[in-house]
Amino acid sequence: MRFLPKTLALVSALACAGLAQAADIKIGVAEALTGGAAQYGVSIRNGFQLAAEEINAKGGINGNKIQLVIEDEQGKKEEGINVFKKLIFQDKVLMVFGPTLSNSMFAAGPVANAAKTVVFGTSNTANGITDIGPYVFRNSVMESDVLPVTVATATKHYKLKKVAVIYGNDDAFTKSGYDVFKKVLEDQKLPVTTTETYVKGDVDFKAQLTKIKASNPDAVVCSCLAEEAANIMLQARGLGLKVPFIGGNGFNSPKLFEISKLAGEGTFVGSPWSNTNPAPVNKAFVAAYEKKFGGEPNQFAAQGYDALYIAAAALKDVKLTGDINADREALKNALPKATISGVTGPFKFRPAVTKNGKPGGWDADQKPFIYLVKGGKFTLYDAK
Amino acid sequence: MLEQQLLNALTLGSVYALFALGFTLVFGVLAVINLSHGAVFMVGSYVALALITHLQASLWVAMLGAMLASGIVGLLVDMLILKPLRARNAPHLIPMIATIGVGIMLTSAAQGLFGAEVLRFPEETLPAGEFVIGDVHVRALEIAIVAIAFLLMAVLFVALKRTQLGRALRAIAESPKAAWLLGINVEGLFHITSFAAAALGGIAGVLIGLNFNAITPFMGQPMLHKGIAVIILGGMGDIRGALIGGLFLGFAEVISKAYLSSQMGDAVAFGLLFLILLVRPSGLFGRKLERKA
Amino acid sequence: MEWLTANFGDFWSTYSTLVFSVGVHAMLALSIWLTLSCGLLSLANAAFMGIGAYVSALLTLNLGWSFPAVLLAGGVAPAAVALLIGAPVLRLSGVYLAMATLAFGEVVRITVLNLEITGGPEGLNGIPLSTEGWHIALLLALTIYGLARLRRSKVGRAFEAIKEDEVAARLMGINVDRYKLLAFTLGGFIAGVAGALNAHFTFFISPREYGFENAVDILTMAVLGGVSDLIGPMLGAAILTLLPELLRSLHDFRSLVNGAVLVLVVLFLPKGIWEPRRIRAWFQRMIGGRA
Repeated sequence: MRFLPKTLALVSALACAGLAQAADIKIGVAEALTGGAAQYGVSIRNGFQLAAEEINAKGGINGNKIQLVIEDEQGKKEEGINVFKKLIFQDKVLMVFGPTLSNSMFAAGPVANAAKTVVFGTSNTANGITDIGPYVFRNSVMESDVLPVTVATATKHYKLKKVAVIYGNDDAFTKSGYDVFKKVLEDQKLPVTTTETYVKGDVDFKAQLTKIKASNPDAVVCSCLAEEAANIMLQARGLGLKVPFIGGNGFNSPKLFEISKLAGEGTFVGSPWSNTNPAPVNKAFVAAYEKKFGGEPNQFAAQGYDALYIAAAALKDVKLTGDINADREALKNALPKATISGVTGPFKFRPAVTKNGKPGGWDADQKPFIYLVKGGKFTLYDAK
Repeated sequence: MLEQQLLNALTLGSVYALFALGFTLVFGVLAVINLSHGAVFMVGSYVALALITHLQASLWVAMLGAMLASGIVGLLVDMLILKPLRARNAPHLIPMIATIGVGIMLTSAAQGLFGAEVLRFPEETLPAGEFVIGDVHVRALEIAIVAIAFLLMAVLFVALKRTQLGRALRAIAESPKAAWLLGINVEGLFHITSFAAAALGGIAGVLIGLNFNAITPFMGQPMLHKGIAVIILGGMGDIRGALIGGLFLGFAEVISKAYLSSQMGDAVAFGLLFLILLVRPSGLFGRKLERKA
Repeated sequence: MEWLTANFGDFWSTYSTLVFSVGVHAMLALSIWLTLSCGLLSLANAAFMGIGAYVSALLTLNLGWSFPAVLLAGGVAPAAVALLIGAPVLRLSGVYLAMATLAFGEVVRITVLNLEITGGPEGLNGIPLSTEGWHIALLLALTIYGLARLRRSKVGRAFEAIKEDEVAARLMGINVDRYKLLAFTLGGFIAGVAGALNAHFTFFISPREYGFENAVDILTMAVLGGVSDLIGPMLGAAILTLLPELLRSLHDFRSLVNGAVLVLVVLFLPKGIWEPRRIRAWFQRMIGGRA
């Protein structure tokens, strides 16, 4: 509904721009706006729209306005490929942001890479994403950078002796999070009492939690998305399981504690972003987002917002020639040097380490925040 | 731990049974696999949620509203879609495909209206209360779900067996044509059945929505998959079968998660279904159906 | 002229994957048409497609087999599975067969999800782009040719007889079980090849693509198009693949309209969109030639 007027506005803005001044910079945004992944895709789109508005209000990039071309990839791989092709070959965008899910990135990423067009994922945490090729970038922090710190901090704080694990085993995001947890727990020599799984769409976790309770762990390590995590916490407390939780990236949503209230008390979460991060740039972002969209932002919106600022930082140093192939190449060469201090903290890229040693893309080089949940709120953990 | 797991199985099984009741009723009377039942179930949840959050309705009013709204959806589907297809004597699969279309429409309408995010009932509307007996924890809501599942099953069963309406419905289930010749208002009863089945789906949506408190436009889909398994296990169109099949599935799933591996939950459910069909071609508790093409 | 080729180049770069998908979906719709033409409502085709996709992708990635060999293996593997489960499963009829095959599909999906070699939920990525337009065109043409020949042969007439009245067919001395098994296995083969083709132009496969929804999608394509001959399923596949693209400008209401179209077609064209008698009459009026 709120989409149509915006598109019209963009079209008319484009028409005026054509007459008045230098060309707009067309940037493709391919996110899942309908279907099961829409809850993430819509947030990401909002983050982009907010950032684009702010950048354009401040005069754009070297006088050029950003024009977002937003398409729905439905969280399906074929749609991802179709949308990428439309954006790259038909709309001739300078670069593409998205897609929402790692699965779609594995399908659509090679298309952009083959077309020598920068593709920039904001929510793809799976291993191997940046193996696709040198045109692939992401600012989504990988779990392998976050979880070791989270687990070590929690172990020290609670003096953990043994933990139980639960994760979603039919989802690429939660499964790869689990793989990292497993390795981290082995590295840090923390014994696992039992490992339980669930599948997407499950709402009843009592069988698994009963089993976990019987195994008597000191904490529950949970590679889950926030929506499921909230139910898991509530049901755990309902069964009398009182130990704290340790979560991954998926936990980081204000929704989690809106729902689970005090059930999540004492949870440790490591994450690139939190709504309570006191940095001024983040406070401004949270306020602007709430004003524009009438709801709290989440991590997905924050990473989309930052991603556009990262691209903008790189574009400042690119002299656009109007030859789309040359401009795409120039952007690809400029982007690795881009750094910002965004709502997710100081950001820079680092070259990906690929499995086969071939040149890969660029991963995020960011330090995670470690949060402890107190009074139903994320509070920055202070080790003292 | 065993006691708790048995209790978990009982509540999960009742949840499945509650969902499957309406599903199996439609099949029993209309001989249609109504694949929009999952979406109707979802509609029930959203209507109750909207009534509670926007109109500050009480839980009971919300439940009634959800039943009514879902029932009307079911009635409309029957009057606008299934009836013309019956009149045309469309092949068996056609109504099922039409209900897929209805499911898609309802799901995307819900997403348009409410968004794709998970919504929840406000905490104060949830019936509180928890009982702890030894090491076993049970919430009042869970007891209510088990009780309502059994109660609805019993009411439906008795209604079908003992009342005039029930006898007419059973006559239709045997042969709509013969029932029509006997002077039964077949179309009217089809409408009533569709309304009742969808209303049952709606109330299941509210109860299950309350229990797990996670409402999304897509919540009906996994339920529908399990619902199919339940009505096959219990015998298609059999009211008692919905309960027996639901409980059977609930126990099979929980026990396999508890004593084998939690990765096995769904594999056990569907593997079991597959094997049972091979051994008993009309389901575990179904009577032999000899309807040849 | 130059303008035209340049524009076609853009058009093809943009929409080639969509055209490929239409071809693959047409093969899938034909694969289910085959079992339907024998009176079997089998919903295992998404699983067969998945088996074909995984076997072929694994052979490409791990053993470096040539593309034709990979395609053949992608067809043979699900056909072998179909042969294995066919005997017990095909004793079931009607809705029960549909449900048993759906359950089989779920078991396959969950197995793939939990295996190490298939990459679990993360699927297989980095599958090289091997499928070209003419591969799909050729294999689709072969499928159409083969099925058209089959329809007119003794086997096709036996299928028809079984579909009309199984008991009568049996009494007439037709080996019903064997013919059913043939339809089931061949359907598995076609679906498997389609899956192998699909895996080699989408770079990535995961268990999610071969589940319940996809099984129902394949059936919907065939029934929407009409199952009285070979054109119906292909038409249905083309419509259901292209419709979401054509509706792209509707944004949020896209799937709403998609669902509504499904309902309306079913309501007003109960035999599917392609109804030979009606279309033929229309066709003859238009050109006065053969249909």
